[in-house]
Amino acid sequence: MTSRPTVTIIGADGKGSNKSHPLPAVFLAPIRPDIVQIVHTGMAKNKRQPYAVSEKAGHQTSAESWGTGRAVARIPRVSGSGTHRAGQAAFGNMCRSGRMFAPTKVWRKWHQKINLGQKRFATASAVAASSNAALLMARGHNVSAVPEVPLVISSTAFSLTKTAGAVKLLRAVGAGPDIDKVKKSKKLRAGRGKSRGRRFRQRRGPLVVYDAEEDGLELARNFRNIPGVESCPVHSLNLLQLAPGGHLGRFIIWTSAAFAALDKVYGSTTEPSLLKKDFLLPSAVVKQPDLNKLINSSEIQAVLRPTKGSGIHKRTIVQKKNPLRNHHVMLRLNPYTAQYAKDKLGQAKIPLEKKNKLNEDFVTTFKSD
Amino acid sequence: MTDHFSADLLWEVTKGWNSYQVKRRSGGGVNFSRDPLNLLNKQTRKHTGFINDQAIGITPSEKGVTLTTKKGGDKANKPASHRHTSGLKGSGRKSYSTVVSSTAKRGYRADLRQAAVARTSAIQNSQREKKDRPAAKPRGVKAKKAEE
Repeated sequence: MTSRPTVTIIGADGKGSNKSHPLPAVFLAPIRPDIVQIVHTGMAKNKRQPYAVSEKAGHQTSAESWGTGRAVARIPRVSGSGTHRAGQAAFGNMCRSGRMFAPTKVWRKWHQKINLGQKRFATASAVAASSNAALLMARGHNVSAVPEVPLVISSTAFSLTKTAGAVKLLRAVGAGPDIDKVKKSKKLRAGRGKSRGRRFRQRRGPLVVYDAEEDGLELARNFRNIPGVESCPVHSLNLLQLAPGGHLGRFIIWTSAAFAALDKVYGSTTEPSLLKKDFLLPSAVVKQPDLNKLINSSEIQAVLRPTKGSGIHKRTIVQKKNPLRNHHVMLRLNPYTAQYAKDKLGQAKIPLEKKNKLNEDFVTTFKSD
Repeated sequence: MTDHFSADLLWEVTKGWNSYQVKRRSGGGVNFSRDPLNLLNKQTRKHTGFINDQAIGITPSEKGVTLTTKKGGDKANKPASHRHTSGLKGSGRKSYSTVVSSTAKRGYRADLRQAAVARTSAIQNSQREKKDRPAAKPRGVKAKKAEE
């Protein structure tokens, strides 16, 4: 790395100020969608509550099989008489009022242990991915009005008391289209989830990341009632928010205090993080991800052998040409033609003696009986 | 900054899923793109505009077409200011040459020259007012009857 790029700190009016901050090293972490996805699926499982059907369900009857010889299936049947239930099959998963197949148990493995190193890698990767406009757009964020990515807003702009002020700030810094997108996207959920506290589904908007000590917890309260907008303190970034659905590229709005804290939280590839024990930022295996630059680099070009037969191209589907009519095709097939034509051998007359000389073999064969 | 995210890397990350993608099983499993900077609406490395450093977008406007290109340099991280748009009013071949001279001829994505012209032409074709078909002339028996 020659010089660390800087990011402009944007004021409350959405215009760039003359202040800037060097890009924290975490933004140069490798982009690994595979790790993010694995960690995300694990983490998404860790909020689940156990559920199961009743242990007794389908077994609250004294049914016994009738055995063979009664011309009915040998499944257990409800005993007694005097009610319709008597003689009906019971217990089996195929029976009416039977138990379900493989009844669910509360001791299912609900939670996943995820390696801490992987979790930290995934978080760093998700933060790095949030600094690329193309990845934000690929995730579906509407960032066409955003002045710069990563979007860093001066902490002073966040001294608000009302949600209305927060909305105004978001609109000023170009997050308006993304909020509108969320508002429009609210739909009634399909299926039973409606009655289980998941009535509506909607897109995710920007994530406001703040420094709890510098910016204060008041900030979260200002933003919490705007649809789609979430907030998170920089010291406890959550992958479920940084890469919802396991997809990289969440639109993050950093307060300048939070942005400045990133270097302390994550450290760099050589300096360990101050807050995380035994943590160095991962570095990319391939330093140059641009294939064209890689191939055309002098180091690669220097060790390549020169191309063989560069003048000859493999012709795939071409019209077949008649070599007897097309001189150049003939030349390709029979290079001697050039000399043959130059010497005018085709027009040359056969010398007389040669012409009259009889083939001796022919003569002897002819004369013999 | 931009060195960290090459188009090759972005393509590998986003080719499996992205918000512009239109993947359907119908029609033999199509894989299209809604990306405005995609001239063929096909999801391929070459045509996916949002990942490439340089891309051309041609979209219909009120009168004619709008030509969009990406600005290079450090603008890649400035979404609000990194696109250059210009409206083309003329129609037909004149606008093709405008499209080509402002992109391919300057060495800006020369590989998209044909696609850019084709899209311009297709959009203009769709904007042309359709003429009504002339009323069918009566023929045969009907013609004779009409004469009488």
